[in-house]
Amino acid sequence: MKVSFFETVRYVPPAAVPSEWPVASGTYDREAGARAYEAMIERLRSVEQLGFDWVSVSEHHYSPRILSPSPMLAAAFIAARLTRLTIALLGPIVAHSNPVRVAEELAMLDTLARGRLVVGLLRGTANEALTYDLNPQESRDRTDEGMELVLKAWTEPTPFGWQGRHFQYRQVSIWPRPWQQPHPPTYALGTSREACEFAARHRLGCGVSYGPFEVMAKATRLYREACARHGWQPTPEQIIYRANMIVADTDEDAHAILRAQPNRAPFAMRPGVRDAVAELDSRNIAGEKRAAITPGALPTTFIGSPDTVVEQVRRAREVIGAGVLDLSLHPPGSRDLEPLTRALDLFATKVLPRIRDL
Amino acid sequence: MSEGWLETNGGRVRYVEAGDGPALVHLAAGGALTTAQALLGRRFRVVVLDTPARGLAPSAVLGAVAALGLERFSLVAGATTTRTALDVAVAAPERVLGLVLESPTSIGADADLAALGTATLLLCGTLDEETTPAARRCATLIPNAHLVFVYAAGRTIALDRPEAFAEVVGDFLERHEAFVIRRSTTLIHP
Repeated sequence: MKVSFFETVRYVPPAAVPSEWPVASGTYDREAGARAYEAMIERLRSVEQLGFDWVSVSEHHYSPRILSPSPMLAAAFIAARLTRLTIALLGPIVAHSNPVRVAEELAMLDTLARGRLVVGLLRGTANEALTYDLNPQESRDRTDEGMELVLKAWTEPTPFGWQGRHFQYRQVSIWPRPWQQPHPPTYALGTSREACEFAARHRLGCGVSYGPFEVMAKATRLYREACARHGWQPTPEQIIYRANMIVADTDEDAHAILRAQPNRAPFAMRPGVRDAVAELDSRNIAGEKRAAITPGALPTTFIGSPDTVVEQVRRAREVIGAGVLDLSLHPPGSRDLEPLTRALDLFATKVLPRIRDL
Repeated sequence: MSEGWLETNGGRVRYVEAGDGPALVHLAAGGALTTAQALLGRRFRVVVLDTPARGLAPSAVLGAVAALGLERFSLVAGATTTRTALDVAVAAPERVLGLVLESPTSIGADADLAALGTATLLLCGTLDEETTPAARRCATLIPNAHLVFVYAAGRTIALDRPEAFAEVVGDFLERHEAFVIRRSTTLIHP
């Protein structure tokens, strides 16, 4: 089992900030911002020493919750400062990006990091369609087409044009090409039938997140079935499960930590906007319709003492088939980072050595 | 739309034609005009020469086009008619203004491709990986060639994505290599 630390760039504001997304940027504190990026590097030095395999970064906008609107820049900063951790860029939001630019930047990153890069391509959370004025109804199709164009830009040796549905280019010929050939290990992230099918057709990995094991297993089962139809079988490392984990000395302590956390939606939009977006943004888990927007906090599926968590990881490995855990050990956006340091130490000493060989 | 038969030294050739403008000769199965041909008919005089699976002799194509009074023309071919189109372009380079090869398969000798002076567009559907190597070879060898992938299309690109096919083919045949320069505006509100 490989283990990834989900790095959200811990911005600790000097005073409380509004919770509604988009969060008013006038409340941003530049000193706190600069400290957040420096502290990220210090934390990741520790994460590296504790034995994590990957650090993952993601793309979110207009909020202090996850302060990496450009995961490419976060990854480049990390790549320049750390020498061993593999950087998992999970991922660029393809739906609202220029896919050729995404391909170029990832190839450049892969070269700068000499292959210490894995990539997850995704559609993005429902609120992100509003970031750059994208019609939520088009985000699925744009993601599928954009992902295909990224792969083509990485691999096609001849200058080419792209006559797409949502993207059109007359000439593409990227430099540099990826360090890893034909391209970095790549995942199509998401539980949808479309993401699973895309991953299977292009021999990519699959990444699911946050949901209960049995529900996530529906997606990874669909993925494996689709892979079989395309004549191949994924390795465990080609399935990532991103999840929240609360590990404490005892089960009671862990549940007390969870109870103390606010039950707040990650990117809470004004109700009229949230409902209108949810109406247009169609999502599914392995073909079964699901809500586009989670009403409260994301579920915590690993919770308890080290013994309990080890058993839960064992179950996740069996039920979901994931060979990589991408872990959030502390809620993003929290102003108190001491519990994160404690959780990291406890996980690395009491859990990690026992799940390595799963 | 009009249709009929043309007598040539290479045999009788059936044709269908529609539209007005510069001549575009499409080597394809005959019958009713496809959506893509009708769209191209808004910008070109589209002449579809009914091409059997065994192909047409270059003399038949050139004879048919001459019988219609067309001095110079652009030439569009599909997977099964690639070879005929290339043979015509090699035989009469001064008459073929531009060449479009949709999902090319049989492409002939490297020397012929390298000597081809005609501006050439190679189209490949992203769902049909088998024709990519031939298209890539053409794109590399033909001096003024351009490779374009048509997303979500198989081998029959014009049938699978007629609007996308007609747009790129029309733009290329009007402007040749300058088609890489975008003409449409991104201005939202003046």
